[in-house]
Amino acid sequence: MKKLRFRYEMELTFDALVVEHHFVFRCLPLEDHGQRCYGLQYGIEPSGPVHETTDGFGNRACVGEALGAHDSLRVWSQGTVFSDRSRVVREKVQPLFRFPSPYTAADEALVNYLQDCRRSWQEAGDFPLYLMDCLYCDFSYVPGRTSVATTAAQAWEGREGVCQDYAHIFLSLCRLAGYPARYVAGMMKGEGATHAWAEVYEDGAWTGFDPTHNRLVDDDYIKLSHGRDFGDCTVDKGCFKGFAAQKQNIYVKVDE
Amino acid sequence: MFELVDHTENINRLLARYGVKFGIYKNQEFHEQLFPFDPLPRIIEAGEFDFLNRGLSQRVNALNLFLADIYQEKRIVKDGVIPEDFVYSSKGYLPQCEGIVPPASIYSHISGIDLVQGKDKKWYILEDNLRIPSGASYPMIARELTRRAAPAAFSRTHIVDNRNYASMLKETLDYVNTGGINVVLTPGRYNAAFFEHSYLAERSGAVLAMPQDLLVEDGRLYYRQYGGKNLQVGAVYRRLSDEYLDPLCFYPESLIGVPGIMEVYRKGNVAIVNAPGNGVADDKGIYYFVPHMIKYYLGQEAILSNAPTYLAFYEKDRTFMLEHLDRLVVKDVSEAGGYGVIFGSDLTKEKLGELARVIRSEPRRFIAQEVIDFIDLGIVEGDHEVPRKADLRAFVLSGKDVRVWPSGLTRFSRNPDSFVVNSSQGGGFKDTWVLSQ
Repeated sequence: MKKLRFRYEMELTFDALVVEHHFVFRCLPLEDHGQRCYGLQYGIEPSGPVHETTDGFGNRACVGEALGAHDSLRVWSQGTVFSDRSRVVREKVQPLFRFPSPYTAADEALVNYLQDCRRSWQEAGDFPLYLMDCLYCDFSYVPGRTSVATTAAQAWEGREGVCQDYAHIFLSLCRLAGYPARYVAGMMKGEGATHAWAEVYEDGAWTGFDPTHNRLVDDDYIKLSHGRDFGDCTVDKGCFKGFAAQKQNIYVKVDE
Repeated sequence: MFELVDHTENINRLLARYGVKFGIYKNQEFHEQLFPFDPLPRIIEAGEFDFLNRGLSQRVNALNLFLADIYQEKRIVKDGVIPEDFVYSSKGYLPQCEGIVPPASIYSHISGIDLVQGKDKKWYILEDNLRIPSGASYPMIARELTRRAAPAAFSRTHIVDNRNYASMLKETLDYVNTGGINVVLTPGRYNAAFFEHSYLAERSGAVLAMPQDLLVEDGRLYYRQYGGKNLQVGAVYRRLSDEYLDPLCFYPESLIGVPGIMEVYRKGNVAIVNAPGNGVADDKGIYYFVPHMIKYYLGQEAILSNAPTYLAFYEKDRTFMLEHLDRLVVKDVSEAGGYGVIFGSDLTKEKLGELARVIRSEPRRFIAQEVIDFIDLGIVEGDHEVPRKADLRAFVLSGKDVRVWPSGLTRFSRNPDSFVVNSSQGGGFKDTWVLSQ
């Protein structure tokens, strides 16, 4: 078990005034058997009243709007999380996670890749673990090559991307191979940005896989939300009216 | 009723003037075409309507129970009555709606059920439309105009007045209204059914709103008036599809949605008519299971039959389909509006082979149905009456209770060899008279 303190900050700045800015932030860790949260706080500036809600996947979200003219929006959240992923907790799986989703539908190239992996696997050890290993070797971490709209199939075509792409490709392969799998948005010990990984349902329990680092998820991770893919777990979502270019800065810090 | 024939041209001219048009997008261009009106009504006798009424109410009841089940407990899937695939890989299933209980637990407030009558006089359900079925306004306005043109036809015959659709709609909206005004939300003037949106709003006393007229603030939905004071909205009869409804919940690119409306809905602070996520129940694949639903939820046999349908997903059905492909009609479950419908009898040997290959590789995508030889209705063409295939869209409204509108949209194919009656495919329409005795 670890006691982690986290802070998440996001600032949007616009080069002109915008109005009617509606937003949804999934920036509060969810409570499950692997993590307990204490002293959660958050702030959104500027904003009218913020409502806390639970979405269709059980994630916590802060919903609200800044209707008046503004040229920046700041969000922060912080708190303490006790993480303990050593216990295996068996639970029922939602059948939804067996099926392809908008970002993870496989194309022929991914189907072929899965077949290649199966052939070289030789039925030794855990297959998702082997898949993660293959993906780690055959895909490179290169920021800037993909965007938030890139699907698993598109990212795989270029063989380069970031954590979101690793997670999508891994999900696509696992679901194709018959394992229910879900996308996780979260944070990892250290300093930087938010992170993304996947959970695979095996033997009646969910296990976290981080294909970007080729390691199983342990007590260094804080889970914010889960869903079918990035689309369900976007940490910050918003839309506004105005003719403005925006710049986003994200800062995340997690320490013990 | 034949005196109506003399007025055909005038009525069509008036309909055009009122804007009774159908817009379609072809090659990404917007074209408006008239929706030709035929003066000879479809006539349904009182006893027959009573039968349809019972059958349609039963069906819509079961469909509403199914939707409540799917977005909450999912008993019907757990009990193995409907395979998981048909729920979770349906485009219409929206996990974002999980756990939302709509006001009064009604999902499909306005259902458009398409039926045909076989040559044996038996009625068959062709399709359920539980998202935003359109078409009620056409027989409404046609009745208005024909009554004016030939009042005698209506005083001689005992016809149930169908001009009460607007008040039925108002009662349906009022019943689920959470406090505030009713609005009809239209994506705008370039929508295929814009005439209907404005007509229904005007007749039912609702406010016609464009997306930019609505605003979410502090967990509630408001209509912006010109004067600046915002009015709270309690029920939205929205005529734009789920994906575009809220960019914060569905397609983030949507410019015609109302940001934040789904959260207001989740909190129970507004009714959305029809409920988002209904597409999971009117999918052509789920259609196959509706008689099973009626049995499962209501413990009754279905009063109205489906057309005999085969599901490529089941091996036994698939084998049958592939053997009889040349006489069946194959439908792609993800398409609507008469698209993706293939008559086996129209295909060459090679094309049949191609179709069989696609069905084998993607069985979940296809259903096949026996071609129902449905009755022809007479339409006026020049000086003659000629027979054409016609279907009926019945409108079923669910509020305090479930009621079938005593009329409906009868659509016909103008092409003598075609069974496809969809307005997007160039069909016309008739009024539907339900006799009171």
